Formats: sequence, C-alpha cells, structure tokens
Amino acid sequence: MSETFTVRHVHAATVERVFACLTEPEHLTRFWGSVGTSTPVEGIVVDLRPGGAFETTMVNDTTGHTHTMRAEYLRVDRPTFLSWRETDSGVVTELALSPLDDGTTEVVTTRRGLPPQMRTPEALAGWGTALDRMSAYLSEGVSS
Amino acid sequence: MQDVDALARTFSALADPTRLTIVARLAAGDATVKEVGEPFALTQQAVSRHLKVLEDAGLVTRSQVAQSRPAHLEVDRLVEVLQWVDAQRQEWVDRHARLADYLQS
Repeated sequence: MSETFTVRHVHAATVERVFACLTEPEHLTRFWGSVGTSTPVEGIVVDLRPGGAFETTMVNDTTGHTHTMRAEYLRVDRPTFLSWRETDSGVVTELALSPLDDGTTEVVTTRRGLPPQMRTPEALAGWGTALDRMSAYLSEGVSS
Repeated sequence: MQDVDALARTFSALADPTRLTIVARLAAGDATVKEVGEPFALTQQAVSRHLKVLEDAGLVTRSQVAQSRPAHLEVDRLVEVLQWVDAQRQEWVDRHARLADYLQS
C-alpha cells in the first residue's frame, strides 16, 4: 500500500518503555489526543495481538464532542514493531522502534493508504507521483 | 476536515501521468488545448477530456473569454490537497512531541 508519509522521532527512553507508552491505556491517555482534547483512559481499548482491537476516544475539552478511532492490530512484535488498520478508513499506521546506542529509541511512524473515497486503483497508482510533483512544483514558488 | 468527496475527485484526477504533465504545464502559465497537447501524441479531443476531468476536480478553470478558452491551474486547490496530507502528518509530529514530554515528566 502506498506510503502517505513518514515521521521520525527519537525518544529519550528505552525501546521497552516507549513501546509500553504506545500500547498501555494509562500511558496513552497522557499524550494521545491533540491540544484541546483529552483521551480518557476508560475510552481506550487495547487488545494487543494481531486481530485485536485498538480504540481511542478523544473528547473535545470545550464542546464535549467525541471522536472515536476504531482499529485492529495487524502486527505486534514487542518491543520493535506495531501496526494497526483503522476500521472506517482502512488507513494503516506502522510504528517501527529501534533502540539506539545511547539508550534512546528511534520511532518511525508510517501511514499507508488513503480514505476509501481516495482508494480507486488510479488514485493509488498516481498518489506518490502526484505528491512528489506537487511538492516540487510548490517549492519552486510558482504558487506565490 | 474538508469535503472528502471533493478531495477524492482531486486525487483521482491527479492519478494519471498525462494529467500530471498537464498540471505541470499549466503551472508554467495558462495554455490553450493546442498548447497543452503539444508534448503528447494526443488528439485535441483527448486533451479536452483530460482538461474536463481536471476541471471537475476543481484543479483547472477555463476562460470563457477567448475562443481558444485557455486553461488555468487553480493553485489553491493543489495547496488544499497538500494541506490535508500535512495535517495528518502534523498530528503524529505533535503526538510524538507530547510523548517526549510525558517520558521526561
């Protein structure tokens, strides 16, 4: 499945600790949701096995509106790899964790796929190319 | 989030090598069907069809003024598509920043 984007981050913690943070509700509740939202621990479901459920419910602090992300774990290789597929969109998120020499941990987050409306064969075939071309185009400053 | 259907039309419109080349051509400036078609072994009818797809996706507008109806690239629409992807990316950048804070607390 085509890669939509990749994000790299190095965390000042062991790979075991980072993996725990990404898979245990009492940790997830502390950092999962964006600013202005909270992710109550009782709204987090983690069934950490391939085919198991992964759900998070973000609550908007101001309006009280909730948004639930429902997903299914695809691959669980503690503590170096984790992936899940979102039920609604089919979008796959992969987290690859690598312990570094200094005791820190690099996490590479990759998102694959697009919402169903964008998943026609033509769209998929052209997606990467289109993005590259557009980025190149925009960076040339033609848009100004 | 913006209209997903509209976004989907834009993605599939761009998912074609010929149309991408047309977009790149129009990025350099407005062009007539004839001008757009020059790099391709395509009939003007075929070029017009591609332009129609890009028009339906909101990526191209056609001038009504001249008979040649030059095509114009809607740069804002391209930016919108890039922003959608970027917003998704930013969500994960922010999430890792919060995790980093949490790990240090």
